[in-house]
Amino acid sequence: MDHFARLGLPAALDLELASLDRAYFALQRQWHPDRFVAKPAAERARASVEAAALNDAYRTLKDPLSRAVYLAELSGVEMPGDGKTIDDPELLMEAMEAREELHDAGSAEAVDALAAKVREDMKASLNGLGSLFLAGDKPAIRKALLRLRYLDKFAEEARARRMNLERSSV
Amino acid sequence: MAYSEKLIDHYENPRNIGSLDKSSEDVGTGLVGAPACGDVMKLQIKVGADGLIEDAKFKTFGCGSAIASSSLVTEWVKGKTIDEAETIKNTDIAKHLALPPVKIHCSVLAEDAIKAAIADYRAKTAKKAE
Repeated sequence: MDHFARLGLPAALDLELASLDRAYFALQRQWHPDRFVAKPAAERARASVEAAALNDAYRTLKDPLSRAVYLAELSGVEMPGDGKTIDDPELLMEAMEAREELHDAGSAEAVDALAAKVREDMKASLNGLGSLFLAGDKPAIRKALLRLRYLDKFAEEARARRMNLERSSV
Repeated sequence: MAYSEKLIDHYENPRNIGSLDKSSEDVGTGLVGAPACGDVMKLQIKVGADGLIEDAKFKTFGCGSAIASSSLVTEWVKGKTIDEAETIKNTDIAKHLALPPVKIHCSVLAEDAIKAAIADYRAKTAKKAE
């Protein structure tokens, strides 16, 4: 069963977080270990498997980027997994230059400005995914998602850099 | 999880950080990335008239193991021919640095980077020969 089906939601890029939360919390109650304490071992085991799968589904679908990557994989887009390297000079050059820029940013303001730019970029790219999925353009979906992963990593690094700057200024 | 001394040494004192002129004819540049972790690694070699790698530089944005792996590779390739440098295996890197299993992919990245740099250098010399 895929993550969408598990939560009784349509497999789609756009997901209302409120309905996701509702579906998750209802099912979580249903499979909660406390309700199975007095049940036979087989049922207890089933409940813990269900609960784990449910958490996994929720985690994957809650974040827009991981949801998009998951949906892409469901749609047959092959994403490079752990340990796979990519050779996309344009993307890598962009990522390298962005990271150098972040590395050189000496003030919290400079880091914030870079982070804000990347957040906008991510938002626009995530919005643009819808039409790529509609068109079923797998290479374009893959390319866009790989770029989003690098933007996401950049945002994470910008947060870390921000914290370091704050710490050193105290 | 304990990291090896060699790994920590390369991470804390990385060798050969920097850049070479990528437009220069005797410089080969390899740029690779592991999108799953968002790492990006640049490795460059400068090949002398005698066919030996006389300089190597790297720049890696990634975890400590990725930095150590690329640092080690730049150290290893200096003084080697490109054919010799091409035989460097990720397993050698992983073994030397005693990388934990979850970090093996960092050594794969470094192997791919040196291969990409060599391929870039070869493409340049082939073009020059035409």
